[in-house]
Amino acid sequence: MNEAQEITRILFQGFQTSSIYLFYAFGYSAIAVFLYGCYVQVRKYRRGQPDSAWGEFLARFGDMVKTMLTHRTIKRRDKAAGKAHAAIFFGFVLLFLGTATITLEYDITEPLFGFKFWYGDFYLWFSLVLDIAGTAVIAGVLYMMYRRKWLKLPKLDYKRPDREPTDPDYDRSEYRREDWAFLWGFIIILITGFLLEASRLIWLMNDPTVWDYRWWSPVGALIANVLHGLGIGPEAAGHFRTGLWWFHGFIALTFVALIPFTKVKHIFTASASLMFRDPMAGRRLPMVPEDQEEIGVKTITDLTWKNLLNLDACTKCGRCHEACPANAVGAPLSPRDVILSLREFANNTLQKKELPDEAELDVHGKDIGQVFMETLWSCRTCLACVEICPVAVEHVPIIVQMRRKLVDEGNMEPILQKTLQSVHKNGNSMGESKRKRAKWTKDLPFTIKDARKEPVDVMWFVGDYASFDPRNQVVTKSFAKLMRQAGVDFGLLYEAEMNAGNDIRRVGEEGLYEFLATSNISTLEKCDFQSIVTTDPHSFNTIRNEYPDFGGEFEINHYTTVIKQLLEQGKLKLNKQLDLTVTFHDPCHLGRYNKGYDAPRDIIKMLGCDLVEMARNRDNSFCCGAGGGRIWIPDPVGIQKPSENRIHEAGEIEDLDVFIVSCPKDLTMFEDARKTAGYEGKFEVKELIELITECVEFDDESVDEDADAA
Amino acid sequence: MKILVAVKEVASLDDDFEIRDDHLDVDEDFLLYDLNEWDDYSLEEAMNIKEASDSDVEVVVVSVGPDRVEESLRKCLAKGADRAIRVWSDEMEGSDSITIGRVLAAVAEQEKPDMIFAGVQSSDDANASTGISLSSYLNWPHAAVVAGLEYTPGSNKAVVTRELEGGMAQEVEISCPAVLTIQLGINTPRYASLRGIKQAAAKPIEEISLSDLGLSAEDVGAYASFARVRRMYIPEKGMATMIDGTPAEQAAKLAEIIKEYRGEL
Ligand code: SF4
Ligand code: SF4
Repeated sequence: MNEAQEITRILFQGFQTSSIYLFYAFGYSAIAVFLYGCYVQVRKYRRGQPDSAWGEFLARFGDMVKTMLTHRTIKRRDKAAGKAHAAIFFGFVLLFLGTATITLEYDITEPLFGFKFWYGDFYLWFSLVLDIAGTAVIAGVLYMMYRRKWLKLPKLDYKRPDREPTDPDYDRSEYRREDWAFLWGFIIILITGFLLEASRLIWLMNDPTVWDYRWWSPVGALIANVLHGLGIGPEAAGHFRTGLWWFHGFIALTFVALIPFTKVKHIFTASASLMFRDPMAGRRLPMVPEDQEEIGVKTITDLTWKNLLNLDACTKCGRCHEACPANAVGAPLSPRDVILSLREFANNTLQKKELPDEAELDVHGKDIGQVFMETLWSCRTCLACVEICPVAVEHVPIIVQMRRKLVDEGNMEPILQKTLQSVHKNGNSMGESKRKRAKWTKDLPFTIKDARKEPVDVMWFVGDYASFDPRNQVVTKSFAKLMRQAGVDFGLLYEAEMNAGNDIRRVGEEGLYEFLATSNISTLEKCDFQSIVTTDPHSFNTIRNEYPDFGGEFEINHYTTVIKQLLEQGKLKLNKQLDLTVTFHDPCHLGRYNKGYDAPRDIIKMLGCDLVEMARNRDNSFCCGAGGGRIWIPDPVGIQKPSENRIHEAGEIEDLDVFIVSCPKDLTMFEDARKTAGYEGKFEVKELIELITECVEFDDESVDEDADAA
Repeated sequence: MKILVAVKEVASLDDDFEIRDDHLDVDEDFLLYDLNEWDDYSLEEAMNIKEASDSDVEVVVVSVGPDRVEESLRKCLAKGADRAIRVWSDEMEGSDSITIGRVLAAVAEQEKPDMIFAGVQSSDDANASTGISLSSYLNWPHAAVVAGLEYTPGSNKAVVTRELEGGMAQEVEISCPAVLTIQLGINTPRYASLRGIKQAAAKPIEEISLSDLGLSAEDVGAYASFARVRRMYIPEKGMATMIDGTPAEQAAKLAEIIKEYRGEL
């Protein structure tokens, strides 16, 4: 143990008292600017609406710490960036703790209690750890520079798909400059720090308590050796050290002062954003309070404080930009740019001392900083952006809230208007009469129970596409046969079933959603059943996650879970194995929305198929383009549709036989895409139910034959 | 300044439907009611004038019909109409479009609007005569099938573009007050969000009966109408046949068919 008090670093060694005062004055000013900046930011957030995110504070805090320590979200889909960030992050944390330790002794424990601890062994280990930390930060920053300069990642290109090159806010070059200033600033602070360390060592090389222990600061010692070898002696080093000391101190403190005004603030905003993360974001959209007159987001102050915080948390990493299906096909939407537009808008308006007029706060429109209507309508609410955002930005609730305003003001495609009116009138989105909802049952060789009239075990909520669309009816009938074969006691709501409302809500027609949800809930509540099953992931999501907000607490399963169980329990028996090469498309509402990744895959394996995954699978599944009401708005002709983009991905799989889907809308979208993209005759698009039906042993021959014919 | 917009709640048919036992109408069970499509456009035209005007413009919607009509009137209120009036007495059952015109004229005499809009026609009965009959009872000028309108509230003239056959248009100057029947496509009707409709539920709908209008039972209903429904039925289909062959063969076949109909064969 080395307890020598001399083995330490004397702070302000060789400084005149006036210099020390000057340094303190400068330090306090930096802190004052920092605090003022924090105040301005907090005032900005407080100008937003209330948000209920404060609940379960401790659990949220714990989650945040865990996410930060593991760097889980930053490593996803970009390991190298995650590691580089970890190096910078942990290095920075250690350097910060180091500085805090010195301050603790120098400004608190020593002057107040005469207690010192920063010497001897502790000091030496401290020096070593901080040297390593500094090196880690430099390595991390160098990688980040390399990545920006040479990797040319499309996700780091700030050009916007929603603006023309001639628009002033098109390429966001000021962000690029800020990024570089930040990286250079960081690296200069660290390099000067090491040089400072080295020059101090040379300066004090005749003091054995310094020089003999120099290898505890390996980087500093190495540089010192080199410099000394170049002929720099203690005196020159002393002068050099004084100049460098001020330079290093000056930029380090400026850096601190600038934190709240630059991208560096993400160290606070991103942590806070992670802490207030809502695991149900997008899956359960916010309700509109009964007594609230206005609906949706019109002005920037209609956003909640948490939304505003989200805007500031964005680090422009571009992961959402890369994952977004709308952006991928050239639609005028990038989730990143929606967030950044709103952020700039908030900074320009809400950081002012006085809140500007209402008219200047309108976020909708065609001006610089405003969000275009086309941008909002391009979103398919697929949740790919929310899923991948490393700092828990919740884009979809913001987009839907903004759409609610558009719907309220009638700013939408006329064809969508027609659909909404027809949903209100007929209870379905297909423009069909209510009476025809259960018409498909007429072709079955048996009758399905009417769950409104008699108790059943399982209530089957069919959904619009599965009920009315001819291609999907084939699947729907097969599922009925499977349920009957398995001996499940099930029934339907027949004409009383209405569109579940999932997509209506995501369009932003909240009033119509409330109408549909409450109607379905009251119908369901009058029936006697144990659980609900559906083949439609959209209905599944809203009944599972959103109906509870309206008083409808039901147990609901997607068919993949139910069939898997029936197969495992032997209630359905397979008499055939399929020797097929298949791939599986995760529907957004089953996969990302509800984490139902495994059941369909397990079934596919039970059927004996060879499952080859597409590159974008599970949580990175690529939306078919039908979500968020986009199935009712025709995609522009001439540009690729998301479904075509996806089907090309499947087309790369060698000898693919079947592209398997497990969602009625997917079946419609991909049947179409397969034809338009030229894969007819190459592979087929099938519902998983169809493959199951091929392999299941049916007791009743007529049912079996019928199924084959179907 | 006031614009009166006459609207109708129309019925649309389900694919499968049945005709009532008295064979005068479709069984109500098979009807879906909604605001007449043309009326969406005439209300929108009134709303556009209101919103573009510096002076105060009141938009009043009126409809003749039973309780259920309230739903359509609510939709109009949700779109921004200032007031809604529903006229009904049981005696009005069976009124034809001319008689409805008379009732609406009585409302207009009380409301004293500066302009009246109606749809060109209703999608269910398609008589295209209610608006015109209203103007003749009022003895006001009218323009039918209006596809374009230039009008400043308060002025005594309006320029209307009427849609004619064969893609032609006619520009007409008309003295106001006038009755205009509005054609589809003149504007883009706004969407009434369901929340808007719900909120409009709080707005009152004025109810007016026969006696409030100074009319008697003889003035309305089937009795006063010039046209009465005698029978509603689905005409037999499949009566057409294609005759193949040379002209001579076709003529021979035709002659045969005629003879058959005359009972000569
Ligand atoms: S939800 Fe999907 S379509 Fe919408 S912005 Fe996010 S990634 Fe893009
Ligand atoms: S919103 Fe999230 S994922 Fe998108 S760029 Fe910002 S930090 Fe990255």
